Amino acid sequence: MAIRLDYIAKETGSNLARNFTLTFASILTVAVSLALVAASYLIGQGINNSFLGLRSDVQLFVYMNPAATQEQIDAVSRALDDSPGVENVDFFDKERSYEEFQRLFEEQPDLVSTITPEDLPQSFRIKPSSSDAEVVTALGDTLESKEGVLRVEYAAEFARQVQRSVRTLNTWVLIVGGVLIGASVLLIFNTIRTAVFARRREIEVMRLVGASNGFIRLPFVAEGLFHGLLGALLAAFAAWGFDALWKRNFVNQVAFELLNQIRWDPNQLWSAIGIIFAVGALTGAIGSGVAVSRFLRA
Amino acid sequence: MIKLDNVTKIYKGEMVALRDATVEIDKGEFVFLVGASGSGKSTFLRLLNREEKPERGHIFVAGKDIAELPGYKVPYLRRNIGSVFQDFKLLPTKTVSENVAFALEAIGRPRAHIKEAVPQILELVGLAQKADNMPDELSGGEQQRVSIARAFVNRPLILLADEPTGNLDPATSVGIMKLLDRINRTGTTVVMATHDRGIVDSMRRRVIELDRGRIVRDQARGVYE
Ligand SMILES: Nc1ncnc2c1ncn2[C@@H]1O[C@H](COP(=O)(O)OP(=O)(O)O)[C@@H](O)[C@H]1O
Ligand SMILES: [Mg+2]
Repeated sequence: MAIRLDYIAKETGSNLARNFTLTFASILTVAVSLALVAASYLIGQGINNSFLGLRSDVQLFVYMNPAATQEQIDAVSRALDDSPGVENVDFFDKERSYEEFQRLFEEQPDLVSTITPEDLPQSFRIKPSSSDAEVVTALGDTLESKEGVLRVEYAAEFARQVQRSVRTLNTWVLIVGGVLIGASVLLIFNTIRTAVFARRREIEVMRLVGASNGFIRLPFVAEGLFHGLLGALLAAFAAWGFDALWKRNFVNQVAFELLNQIRWDPNQLWSAIGIIFAVGALTGAIGSGVAVSRFLRA
Repeated sequence: MIKLDNVTKIYKGEMVALRDATVEIDKGEFVFLVGASGSGKSTFLRLLNREEKPERGHIFVAGKDIAELPGYKVPYLRRNIGSVFQDFKLLPTKTVSENVAFALEAIGRPRAHIKEAVPQILELVGLAQKADNMPDELSGGEQQRVSIARAFVNRPLILLADEPTGNLDPATSVGIMKLLDRINRTGTTVVMATHDRGIVDSMRRRVIELDRGRIVRDQARGVYE
């Protein structure tokens, strides 16, 4: 069948103009829902990326103050040796910490070049004899009160907690995004149904003269698809901005140590944008397709 | 060209609008369907272009049983059947020539063909001068001519007309009948539902009379009753 593009463009355009508010509302809803889904996807990927390198046998990190004296370090070391709760201790001096730092951030040479071994705190990496969170926390509390200790981190347990809470939050973001996608489908359905109704005389004539159902559907599905894709475009910008914002505000910012391990690579951003466009197109096609089919069947 | 074989149409499981209709119409015939209001004339016509499906029986159009035609093939059936109605069904936002062109656009005909066919058909129905007028600037008779032009522009094998003169005064109706007669003379089969006695009696064509869904008379060169 010869499909006339100018015809589709003309019909789609006039429908858009006719129903500006409804159209605007559906495009915006599509955009917000897709942006939420994309953010949730990125954070989810980020969670999977983070913590992967963690050694699971290390539960506790005791960071020493950079200004800590040798006596203070020795005191902590002795306390650890004497503690029955400690199975294994590893001491990271400045050189060793720097080596590790270089390895962890080898993809960010700029960052590495600004840091010298002197900037890094020395630390004890402790494997407690018990993995019971309470026992480990009690041990940590004791150590935290020692002179010269900067802070204590509960590596794996801590990481798991962060992971859990971020994941929970993320699930809710996804659920809200999903619900909004449902709302988008309904809004597009409604917009297209209104457009179909406004053109019912044309459709009646088209059916009478033998236009195929596909031909009759096409401008409406094109319109729904257009809503979905325009919403997706807005959401793609939002995802891109979210990515930039996250990187600027959280990644490698010590103040946000909770979040700074959650990071994703550019490929994952592209996947997110791909998902946005795919889901946007689907949303538009389903909403409009159902609207037109219901009308044509009647 | 058209053959009904024991066709029964029942609406909503109870209203029998057409009962055991068996009738054959040859290519190029001009047939009047007459009968009181509610006797089943419109139903008869709607069965022919598959706007309705019969509950029983077979309907053959150009050799095909259209009762069994799958839905996606119905548009291709309708491309061979023009339809004209009492209320014209013109699109008020389109000019005369746009209304006619719309019928060809809707079935994806190429633009070059449309540009040629539309003025030609408007010439045939005597509306060449009004090509750029809007429907509401035309008289009832002129609007019906536009609707006939739209129905015939694709040169269908069959033209169905459901009380095409129902809204027109007698003098205007005569003009419309002359036009339908001309179209019939090109070999197009015309089936027209009407209860305009004067028209039927003056044309002396085949008359099929319906009474509460039954064919009660089928008469060559007949009169209204
Ligand atoms: N869509 C429909 N649903 C239910 N009943 C209908 C429908 N169309 C027609 N009828 C009934 O079928 C009978 C025949 O109607 P119709 O074919 O329109 O007759 P005519 O055109 O001769 O006036 C009438 O009693 C009418 O009320
Ligand atoms: Mg009728």
